[in-house]
Amino acid sequence: MGATLATALALVAAAEPTWSAADLKTLRGLWIGALKPPPPDPSNKVADNAKAADLGRALFSDTGLSANGQVSCASCHQPGHAFTDALPTGHGVGTGNRRTMPIAPAVYSPWQFWDGRADSLWAQALGPVENPAEHGFSRTEVARVLAARYSDAYERLFGPLPDLADRNRFPLRAAPGGDPAAKAAWEGMSDADQILINRVYANFGKAVAAYERTLKIRPSRFDAYLAGVFGAPDPHARLSPDELAGLRLFIGKGQCANCHNGPLLSNHGFANTGVPAHPDLPRDLGRAAGVRAAVADPFNCKGVYSDAPAGCEELEFAVIDNPGQVRAYKVPSLRGVGQRAPYMHAGQFSSLEQVVDHYSRAPRAPDGASEIKPLRLSADERRQIVAFLRTLDEQPAPSPHG
Amino acid sequence: MPQFARINRRSLAYRVLGGVALLAVVLAGGVAAAKPRDLNISLDRPSDRGVFRVRIQSQVAPIPLSRVHPWTVHLTDQAGLPVSGAVIAIDGGMPEHHHGLPTAPRAASAATPGDYLISGMKFSMTGWWVLNLSIKAPDGRTDRITFNMVL
Ligand code: HEC
Ligand code: HEC
Repeated sequence: MGATLATALALVAAAEPTWSAADLKTLRGLWIGALKPPPPDPSNKVADNAKAADLGRALFSDTGLSANGQVSCASCHQPGHAFTDALPTGHGVGTGNRRTMPIAPAVYSPWQFWDGRADSLWAQALGPVENPAEHGFSRTEVARVLAARYSDAYERLFGPLPDLADRNRFPLRAAPGGDPAAKAAWEGMSDADQILINRVYANFGKAVAAYERTLKIRPSRFDAYLAGVFGAPDPHARLSPDELAGLRLFIGKGQCANCHNGPLLSNHGFANTGVPAHPDLPRDLGRAAGVRAAVADPFNCKGVYSDAPAGCEELEFAVIDNPGQVRAYKVPSLRGVGQRAPYMHAGQFSSLEQVVDHYSRAPRAPDGASEIKPLRLSADERRQIVAFLRTLDEQPAPSPHG
Repeated sequence: MPQFARINRRSLAYRVLGGVALLAVVLAGGVAAAKPRDLNISLDRPSDRGVFRVRIQSQVAPIPLSRVHPWTVHLTDQAGLPVSGAVIAIDGGMPEHHHGLPTAPRAASAATPGDYLISGMKFSMTGWWVLNLSIKAPDGRTDRITFNMVL
């Protein structure tokens, strides 16, 4: 009898682990309860305007904003698929060099894209539209779509659209980085007309960004478990012994929380983790090139299209020319990670098992130097980390727009 | 070889400051350093070789997380006289996680003697951070100092 009781108590003890004070501090940091409202974006004066978000939502899924009339942001960032597309690299009008990223966590990050080459959500939104592999569109075409179908909503937010009737002044398809014809058409425009179009293009991005800022991160079973750890009344979720062991590895021996920390399990930094280069893709320098592009971007926080009166400190004090930036990529949020394979900046790994195996081996980086050291995890430990990562699955959304 | 030299100098700095030996390789790659138990977290201290006394202070209290914010530096010499016109270079990071600062802060002279403003400071997470100041006074005197902060 006594022995049975002791065994039962031992089982309870095994199921309810004790966390040290330091562990609890780390765990509290990972909890969704620690997630604050998105930081303000002074460079976008409609960032938190509900009407702008409505316009942005419509634009986000408008396939009319593409060269073939078939691609919208939502083609790759599929709301039903954690805003990703299950492909190794994004596929729009053509196929790109990088993997589609989830949208909801991006609002918390000072830098957008795997290499952080945009310093705001609105500047980011301008990239895919003129990317020949994505929307394959041009900014004068964007202005015409806005004028034809969204002029009321647009003008209420941003004031009058320019009169685009004169096709000599405003060619149908003109973009500074587009195909040779679009480029020539852009270069033929006057400086003043280019600025008029750029302003409309920036406003398009600002409306899309306002929508993206409304997307919510949904809690996971891990959060429900932590709620219990932090004293929420029963019932709260339990984690299996494997999941708990995986969590302990994640914040301990695995050192995952060095980079994957905070309520999104990302420090919003960039790191070279020695992910193999995709054999069929051109050389990719990651953050080393991305930060230079952000500084040079006319749509950055310090540019004339920004609404920020001053500040722009992330850009002003950005780390540039640091050898550690070669092949460093954005530390992704791990929320919902089990629901959106494949992984890494070019979809190099197709499963979480492959990801954890990579961390265990920590191979040399193809370029630059990897920041991670081999963990030499046992098969059990690798399985446990994967089990833990799956507790980060987002709970189903209450509605399609969650 | 320069890598080796850098490691040695840092380890020396740590020995002097924290009273802890063998904290080499910090931020220079390699094994992450564990936080010494008797970490000196004073923000008002003599520099490594005692050439200056340096006081630093966040202009936002408590020190904010994930937000760029300014700090001030007050620099005096051994006699306690303010040192103006010095060039101060800043780096740092998290020794336990061997990564550097998330931003590249810069120091500039302020209006009052011995005072400087550091703009662009940011800490992206809680834990042990170090801030290294390399100081070059206009008369050629130089020294370094490493401050520790636990956020
Ligand atoms: C063809 C597929 C595709 C289309 C269409 C597309 N994206 Fe993306 N998106 C991607 C890929 C791939 C990346 C990563 C690109 C990189 O890092 O170079 C990305 C990155 C992003 C990011 C960065 C997230 C982060 O955390 O840094 C945001 C935000 C985003 N896209 C929003 C949009 C918006 C808004 C649109 C429509 C205007 C759009 N995307 C259209 C594939 C696509
Ligand atoms: C030095 C910082 C760092 C550490 C430590 C780290 N990661 Fe990562 N993690 C990253 C970066 C950066 C990426 C993206 C790399 C890329 O795409 O090239 C990433 C990607 C991932 C991904 C893929 C996510 C996606 O959306 O593609 C998973 C899963 C992951 N890490 C889990 C872990 C686990 C588990 C550990 C501990 C064993 C860990 N990480 C340790 C920085 C880190």
